[in-house]
Amino acid sequence: MAGGALLQLEGVEKSFGGLHVLRGIDLAIDKGEVVCVLGPSGSGKSTLLRCINLLEPPDAGRIVLEGQQISGGAGEVGIDFVRRRVGIVFQQFNLFPHRSAIENVALAPQTVLGRGEGEARTKAAALLNRVGLADKLEEYPERLSGGQQQRVAIARALAMDPEVMLFDEVTSALDPELIKEVLDVMRELAEEGMTMIVVTHEMGFAREVGDRVVFMDEGVVVEEGTPKQVIDEPKHERTKRFLGLVLER
Amino acid sequence: MPEILAEIPLLTDLWNSTIGSLWDSTDTFRTQYFDFNILSDNDYENAKGVLEGFRETIKLSIIGGFLALAWGLVLAVLRQLPGKALAPVRGLTIAYIDAFRGIPLLLVLLLVSGSLGALAAEDVIPKDIGIPRWFGQPDPFWYGIIALTVTYGAYMAEVYRAGIEAVPQGQMEAARSLGMSHRQAMSRVILPQAVRKVIPPLLNDFIALMKDTSLVSVIGFVEVVQFGRDVQSETFNSTALSFGALLFLLVTIPLARLVDRLIARQQRRVGRSGGGGTAEPAPAGAAGTGQTGGPV
Repeated sequence: MAGGALLQLEGVEKSFGGLHVLRGIDLAIDKGEVVCVLGPSGSGKSTLLRCINLLEPPDAGRIVLEGQQISGGAGEVGIDFVRRRVGIVFQQFNLFPHRSAIENVALAPQTVLGRGEGEARTKAAALLNRVGLADKLEEYPERLSGGQQQRVAIARALAMDPEVMLFDEVTSALDPELIKEVLDVMRELAEEGMTMIVVTHEMGFAREVGDRVVFMDEGVVVEEGTPKQVIDEPKHERTKRFLGLVLER
Repeated sequence: MPEILAEIPLLTDLWNSTIGSLWDSTDTFRTQYFDFNILSDNDYENAKGVLEGFRETIKLSIIGGFLALAWGLVLAVLRQLPGKALAPVRGLTIAYIDAFRGIPLLLVLLLVSGSLGALAAEDVIPKDIGIPRWFGQPDPFWYGIIALTVTYGAYMAEVYRAGIEAVPQGQMEAARSLGMSHRQAMSRVILPQAVRKVIPPLLNDFIALMKDTSLVSVIGFVEVVQFGRDVQSETFNSTALSFGALLFLLVTIPLARLVDRLIARQQRRVGRSGGGGTAEPAPAGAAGTGQTGGPV
């Protein structure tokens, strides 16, 4: 195990039925690092994130978080260890529609961490303020725009004080004019030193904010390096072809 | 001829020359189903009896309905328990639901009423359970409550299940990702949404349950139908039963309208949240369209 890495993946594999989605992923992420994962759809990017927080338990390989083995046989620590340290934001927001914005953010700290309602709500209000939604505390999700909902979802994940934040194509379901407000929040988060794994199609974001870019295809890491290396000077044919298609737009 | 008409000569003539003879010839027919005297005789003895019977019907409906709602929710939650270790619990729950959805309520009622007392007599089960007379109610009342709960619990479990399955999978994933246990996610996130979706079909089941309380008369409990039947066999007149039917309608029709309204409101809501930049799939309307799986 590489010393010092916050999160370490070794030979992680995952299949769904006959479909081999991850075919041995090795990845080490340091504290405070922002890693952007690029790749065509079906390349296994989302599955990779879902394996890291054990929404999908990997079939093979090891995952080590903060020096604790969270997947890969003997000595695994419990799922709670992972879920309290890893936050995830989904493409479809998945806000709780029967709860207001502030309740969405405060719910998990109350039920999981046993925080009092007052304390949880105070912190939730602060987090919503931080993502620019101080005036929407009591609104229900159906009355918020997609961009606002996604920012609530980010605040909700942050409320559990995660060590790592996973972003699964969080702007893909948004209308174009709403994408920036979400990316701005993520950029600030990165500047504050949050460790982030960002699956995205936003090349500009990957280039500016990413410390490292990983290009995946067909369940393997094809190429990784600085944004400049991977996006501007890709070495592999598959990376070049993908970037050619994406950057053409 | 109606008495009011008889006092006005002109109308009497008009009446006699038009539908008068038809009206008179159907007199026997009309009084068979509605003869006010049957209700009013002996200081309204029968009217009071019907009302008292209906009070028993309402008691059976509310207590049975409440218990079936709760029991159905328990069954639905048991059916959704996660993990391999709990597969037997899921299997047993499914077997229970299948069994009691497939057996006539009348049969369950006879099984319960005919066996519990006998078992208590043989000291296999305590007397208080075998011959229940809780809260001053007679044992046929409680046999009825047990049979209604056991059977309608199974129907309602299926309704809850439809509601749980209509909550998008992402809700459970989001809750679990935030560190909630399955139990916390169910109680705080999934069930509150699921139950809201299925209030209309649950109400439909409640209407069906209320009508089915009349079966409890078979084991010697006098509710509205049994009382009407007693009057009918005494007088050869059906007025007491008609009056009972009217009382049912006074409750069931407003309830049915309420169900319609709730469904309409849900559909408006689905239509609204379909726009507004949400990519969430519209909550499956199926749960709200009155498919109750209950008896028709």
